Amino acid sequence: MLVIHYDSTFDGFLSVVFEIYRQHLDVGDIVPVRPYGVAQSVPTDLFLQPFRVESDEESARRLRRAILNLAGEDVFAVLDAAFRSEEPGVEMKIFAYLRKLFAGDDPAYARNPTSEEMLPLFCIARSVRREQGFMLGAVRFCKAPDGMYIAAVEPKYNVVDLLAPHFRSRFPNGRWAIVDMVRRYGICYENSRTQLVSVADPAAIAGIERADSVARMWKSYYDSMAIKERLNPELLRRCLPVRYWKHLPERQVDASSLVIGGRNSEKRGDNGLGGANLPSAVARSRSIALTHAGT
Amino acid sequence: MDLREKLNILGDAAKYDVSCSSSGSSRCAPKGGFGCGCDAGICHTWAADGRCISLLKVLFSNACKYDCAYCVNRRSNDIPRATFTPKELIDLTMEFYRRNYIEGLFLSSAVVGSPDNTMELLVRVVKELRTVHHFGGYIHLKAIPGASARLLFEAGLYADRSSVNIEIPSDSALQYLAPEKNYESIYRPMNYLAERKIGYDSDHARHSPKFLPAGQSTQMIVGASGETDLQILRLSAGFYQQQQMKRVYFSGYVPINADKRLPAISSKPPLLREHRLYQADWLMRFYNFRHDEILDESNPNLDVDLDPKAMWALRHPEFFPVDLQTADYESILRVPGIGVKSARLIVSGRRFSRIRLETLKKMGVVLKRAKYFIYHPDTPASLRRLYPEMVRPFLVAKKRPEQLGLFDNFVPALPGALSR
Repeated sequence: MLVIHYDSTFDGFLSVVFEIYRQHLDVGDIVPVRPYGVAQSVPTDLFLQPFRVESDEESARRLRRAILNLAGEDVFAVLDAAFRSEEPGVEMKIFAYLRKLFAGDDPAYARNPTSEEMLPLFCIARSVRREQGFMLGAVRFCKAPDGMYIAAVEPKYNVVDLLAPHFRSRFPNGRWAIVDMVRRYGICYENSRTQLVSVADPAAIAGIERADSVARMWKSYYDSMAIKERLNPELLRRCLPVRYWKHLPERQVDASSLVIGGRNSEKRGDNGLGGANLPSAVARSRSIALTHAGT
Repeated sequence: MDLREKLNILGDAAKYDVSCSSSGSSRCAPKGGFGCGCDAGICHTWAADGRCISLLKVLFSNACKYDCAYCVNRRSNDIPRATFTPKELIDLTMEFYRRNYIEGLFLSSAVVGSPDNTMELLVRVVKELRTVHHFGGYIHLKAIPGASARLLFEAGLYADRSSVNIEIPSDSALQYLAPEKNYESIYRPMNYLAERKIGYDSDHARHSPKFLPAGQSTQMIVGASGETDLQILRLSAGFYQQQQMKRVYFSGYVPINADKRLPAISSKPPLLREHRLYQADWLMRFYNFRHDEILDESNPNLDVDLDPKAMWALRHPEFFPVDLQTADYESILRVPGIGVKSARLIVSGRRFSRIRLETLKKMGVVLKRAKYFIYHPDTPASLRRLYPEMVRPFLVAKKRPEQLGLFDNFVPALPGALSR
C-alpha cells in the first residue's frame, strides 16, 4: 500500500490518478505537499510506503478528456470545485468516485448525483461555490499610491482565481489585484490581461490597507447603518463569520486608534485595541499586522 | 458640514428602508466605464443588526415637508438636516464602488419642495452617473409619490429597480398616520411604472435601452397599525400578480417617534412576526403556495411557534405522507424541512437509485421536521398516517427549562440571622 505525495495542484492530482491506473498502484492515501501553511501536520501512516508522483500535463489532459467523455462537463466542474476545498481526504473521495466511474458497471452511474461517492463531493462543491459567491462581495480593494487597487483576502477554500472573470467584467479598464494571503498567490489584472502572481511579502499589503481615507468614511457609514433596537450579534456572525473580519475595513476598530503607530501599540499590547468589543481572534490578528508594520 | 458628517446623517435617515437586494440586473459594463450588474445579486457586508448591506443606501436630502407619524425624518422631529450636492454623491458612489464596498446606489429622498422637484434632483444624479461617468453598477431609485409621468419614465431608463413604499397595509390607517399621503398617490406611480415596463418588455429589440431590468419592489411597516397577517399577505400577493413586483418587504415597526397614534416608544419591534411573514412570502414566491392556502378567514394570523410551512402541513394531514420516490416536485416542495435545492436533488437523483433516509441526511434535509411527513419503506406502520395533534409537539421548539434561583424563596429560620 502506498501513500502518494503530489504537488497539490489539480493537474498534479489528475496525474496521480493517471499513474495509479498506468502502473496498477495499490493506493492507501493521497496527500498533497503544499507550499504554504502547516507543513505536513497530517501524521504519516507507518504501514504505508511513501511514493511521489510528479505533475505531468499530458497525462492530466488525457485523464481530463476521459472524465469529460464519460461523465460530462458539469460533473467535472463538481470534481474541480470539491478539489478546491483542500479538505483532508477529499482526494480519496474523488478517487473513489473516479474508480466506480471507470469500472463502468452501471452506465447511469456518472449522472447520479445521489450516489454514495458523489453526494459528499456534491455537498463539498456546493459549499466551495457558496464561498466563491461570498468572496465576490467580501473582497475589499484599497488604492495603492501608484493607482492600483489591491485587495487582500483569506478565503476558506482556494477560490481566488475563480474571482477573475467577475472582476474583469466589472472593472475592464482598471488595474487591480486580489491576493490570497494564506496561499501566497493572487491574480493581477493590468492592460486587459489577467495573470497569476505569487506574493513574497504579505506585510507590504497590510500597510496599504490602513492608509486609505475612503475606508474610514465607509466605516463610519457602516456604523450608522445599524438599527440599535434590532442589534443581533448572533445573526451578524452567522452571515459574516468572524474569520473574514480581518480584511474588512468596516469591521475594524476605529481608524483613529490605529494610526497611533506600530511601536506604541505594540508596547501597549491589547490596550490599544481594547476599546472595541471585538472577538479576541480578530484583535490578535490586528496586532500581528501592526507588528509587521512596525518592524 | 463635511462630507463624512453628511453621509452619516443621510445614511442614518435611510436605514429604515429595508430593501437591499441587488439582484435581477445583468447590465454589462458600458464602453469606457466600469461597473456591471450581477443577476443573482451580491451581498457585500452585514450591519451589526444582521441586515445585509449591498447598496450605498442614502437619502439625497432629509429635509422633509411631510409629517408622517412613523417616519424619523418627519418635519416635526428635531434632527440635524443635510442635503448632498449631486457631485458629492456621485464621487462617493464611484469611490465606494471601485473598492468593492457596494454593489451600487440606493437613492431615495425626503420630499423637498414639491414631489416633482425632488424627483428631478434624483433623476439628475442618476442620469449623470450613467451618461457622464458611464457607471454600470446597480441603481435602485425611489419613485416619489406624486411625481409626474415624464420624470418617472426617465427614472426607469437609468435605474435598475424602482420602488414606491406602500408603508401601511391599509388605506385608512395610512391616511390616519400620514395625513399627506393616500393609496391613490402611491398606486399611481407604481402602476405607471408597471405598465411601462410590460409595454417595454413586449416590444423589446436587442439593442433597445433597458427599462427597469430588475423591476419594482415595495415595503410595508408591520405592527404600527392593527392589520392581520392575512390582510398583509393578501395585499402582497396582489402586488406580485398585478404590479409584477419582484419583492415585497416587511419592516417590523421600530418605535422611533413618541406619537399617541403609534405603539408606545418602549415597545419592542415585532421581529418574530416579521420573520414569519417573510417565511410566508418565500412560500408564495418559491414554493408555489397561494396566499389563501397559508392563511384564511378562520385563522388570520401566522403561528408564532411554527413556521408557515409546518403550519400548513399540520392543517392538511390528508396530503401526507409524501412518497419521495413517486411524488411530483411540487408535492415534495411542500414537505416541511425540504427546501428547493434538496427537492431538486431528490427529483434528479431518484431516477438512478432509491432515496433513503441516510441519503436525505447527507443532502442537508432537516429530517427532524421532514421525517413525519414522508413515506419510505423504513417508516413504522404507526407513522404512516399523519396525526397533527401528535406531531405538533415534536415540531415546536422546546422551551428551555428555566434555571431557578437557589435563594429566591429563601426564608431564614432565624429572622435576622443573616444580618448579624
